[in-house]
Amino acid sequence: MSEDKNVFSRRTVLKGAAIGGLGLAAGGSLLTSCGSDKVTGDVKWTTRGGGDTGDAIAKSVNDAYTAKTGNKVIAQQVNSDDFQNNFVQIMQGTPDDAFGWMAGWRTNARADLGLLADVSDQISDLGGALSDAAVKGATNPADGKQYIIPTTYYPWGLHYRKSMVKDLGLDPEAINTWDDFVKLMTLTKKKGLVAYSMGAKGGWEAMGTFDILNARVNGYQFHIDLLNGKEKWTDAKTQETFKYFAELVPFMNTNFMDISWDGCRDLLLQKKAGAMMMGSWFANDFKASSQADYDDLWIVPFPEINPAYGIDTIDAPLDGISVAANGNNVEGGKDLAKFWGSKEGIEAAIAGGDTSIYVSKDFDTSGYDAFNKQKLNVLGAAKNIMFFADRDSRGDFAGPILGPALQNFLKNPKDVNKILENTQAQWDALPAL
Amino acid sequence: MKTAATEVKNRSRRSLSKADRFTLSAFVGIPTFLQIILLWVPAVVTIILSFTYWNGVRLSDIKWAGLSNYRNIFFDNPIFYEALKNNALWLLWFIVIATPLGILLAYQIDRQIKGHKIYESIYYLPVVLSLAVIGIIWNFMLQPGGFVQGLMGRDIGNAISIWGNDSINTYVILGVASWRHIGYIMLLYLSGLKSVDPALREAAAMDGATEWQIFRKIILPTMQPVNIIIIVITLIESLRAFDLVYIIYGSPTIFPLLNLLVFQNFAGQGISMKGAAYAVILLLLCIVPIITYLRVVFKEDLK
Repeated sequence: MSEDKNVFSRRTVLKGAAIGGLGLAAGGSLLTSCGSDKVTGDVKWTTRGGGDTGDAIAKSVNDAYTAKTGNKVIAQQVNSDDFQNNFVQIMQGTPDDAFGWMAGWRTNARADLGLLADVSDQISDLGGALSDAAVKGATNPADGKQYIIPTTYYPWGLHYRKSMVKDLGLDPEAINTWDDFVKLMTLTKKKGLVAYSMGAKGGWEAMGTFDILNARVNGYQFHIDLLNGKEKWTDAKTQETFKYFAELVPFMNTNFMDISWDGCRDLLLQKKAGAMMMGSWFANDFKASSQADYDDLWIVPFPEINPAYGIDTIDAPLDGISVAANGNNVEGGKDLAKFWGSKEGIEAAIAGGDTSIYVSKDFDTSGYDAFNKQKLNVLGAAKNIMFFADRDSRGDFAGPILGPALQNFLKNPKDVNKILENTQAQWDALPAL
Repeated sequence: MKTAATEVKNRSRRSLSKADRFTLSAFVGIPTFLQIILLWVPAVVTIILSFTYWNGVRLSDIKWAGLSNYRNIFFDNPIFYEALKNNALWLLWFIVIATPLGILLAYQIDRQIKGHKIYESIYYLPVVLSLAVIGIIWNFMLQPGGFVQGLMGRDIGNAISIWGNDSINTYVILGVASWRHIGYIMLLYLSGLKSVDPALREAAAMDGATEWQIFRKIILPTMQPVNIIIIVITLIESLRAFDLVYIIYGSPTIFPLLNLLVFQNFAGQGISMKGAAYAVILLLLCIVPIITYLRVVFKEDLK
């Protein structure tokens, strides 16, 4: 509601910014400074999970913002899952002005409900600092505006330990094709180890494998269309994806229904599993275990299956900062969100202990260690970025329908056609949005 | 209960003081008001919403769906039947195994066997814990990397699949749930047994009745009101099962139960009124035992 009131003034500003942008490709700082002059008042900030590290990063950035603008930031940390699950309720109450959030369906659907404030102006203020892909990823297809300022992302890739691959007589840097990969898994299995670690207890973990298989077999567009009902689960193309998925199942640990991502992490850490398809957020735990473990960890893009698509797609969930439409200080929230996405904000976050990869071009990666550089390589190899099935598809489909379908598939790969038919039937029964 | 009885008197005798009348109407009125606001209104709203499509945010988005949610649940949702099966198994297990065991224990302890106090405390202990805590304890013991797996020398890689193994997890979960239920039933029955006149039992024993005959012909019939309450409690406990399983799995899909499906579809990110439809189905399944329960309780009071 409060969105509507501001639409006009913001459009005018946006136009101004667009015109200014023509000549001011490098001069974004001018706009930045005149923007922040106007905004005053305390801003409330929510850190979404992250424990002490999350608090330290938020404090570092928010303090830098206060030092710059004189606006006080009142911060709190919430449990990530609780925040996510109660998001709609929280946003309808009196939410904090700005908070860390996730791009994709979770932002766009809530923006359509009027719960998030439009930050398109702030994004144009940041100008060329944000990559086109990131801005595209943050854009709500419904109205072409942005409701999240993209900041960081992380790759989902194939993780393994270099030393283990070497022991098998393979080159750890060259696991490129499906055949290489099957060879790696076969040799790992022969040694009595888990070749492809899978945790499916939570229902979401297997989506990572499904996403990448579908993108490798059928390409990015088919995958996104499938998750949004424009393609069918019963299509022969989808069935083809599940053929590859079924090939993976014999290589998995048999107790996949008992463990989640952390179980998989421990398997790899204890050298009991060969490969692990996961977001690389868990690398910090390797570092916490020992530097040697961390140095041994490697990530490569999931191997090519269909040469038509190569390795052009990756699951790289995009995170960022959103602003609540119902906050007490919406303009303040937007200003703070912009600061988080700016060069100064990123520097403050890194000073606070952040190891994320930023989408901003102002982000200096020269000091990166080998693993982080490899993460960048993996991200850079992809043209199309998926956000993960539960961000690319609607909420009443991903969790309640797709999750159990994948679990059932893993338990009984032979029932695949029945499972896919049922998944399609359940999609068809969903109300129009 | 007391208030209901006094209200009858209130109507016949008009000599109550103003203060009395105020107190009485407050005693009846406040709980009734709260019940209506907090229970009946949401229940009716849920029933109405189960016939709509809605994502829970803007009232203007509510769309009439007719029977679609129900059709979806009954015809397209295999997980619904799995949940129904699990709830039914839960009920059957409680009625056939857990509840009779609790009654048997209560009967033995009531006979003051040696060390009965110790047995009583041991059996009763799990009842003090909530099912959520019980879930945490048993998950810690049985999960891969857990205590019991460790004792067997198994780590995460070769841990025995328990929670995720469809052929045994039902029985493990029911065993854990019974761990608490047996003690609960035992305590209820024990308090009932205390009020049975010992003379009845002695008289039967003198007439040469066996223990089994005494239990069946004397104790069970005299305990009729308690029996009904216990049966109804067993029914409700089985249908409302939620916390234990939710704590162990964190998601409702490996061991689905009706309540988990209500929660998954009604809360969280995937808000849809399918959750409301699940809730209505569950309500209908619960309402029969609840009505029976209330009727027994009120009959008791009228006596």
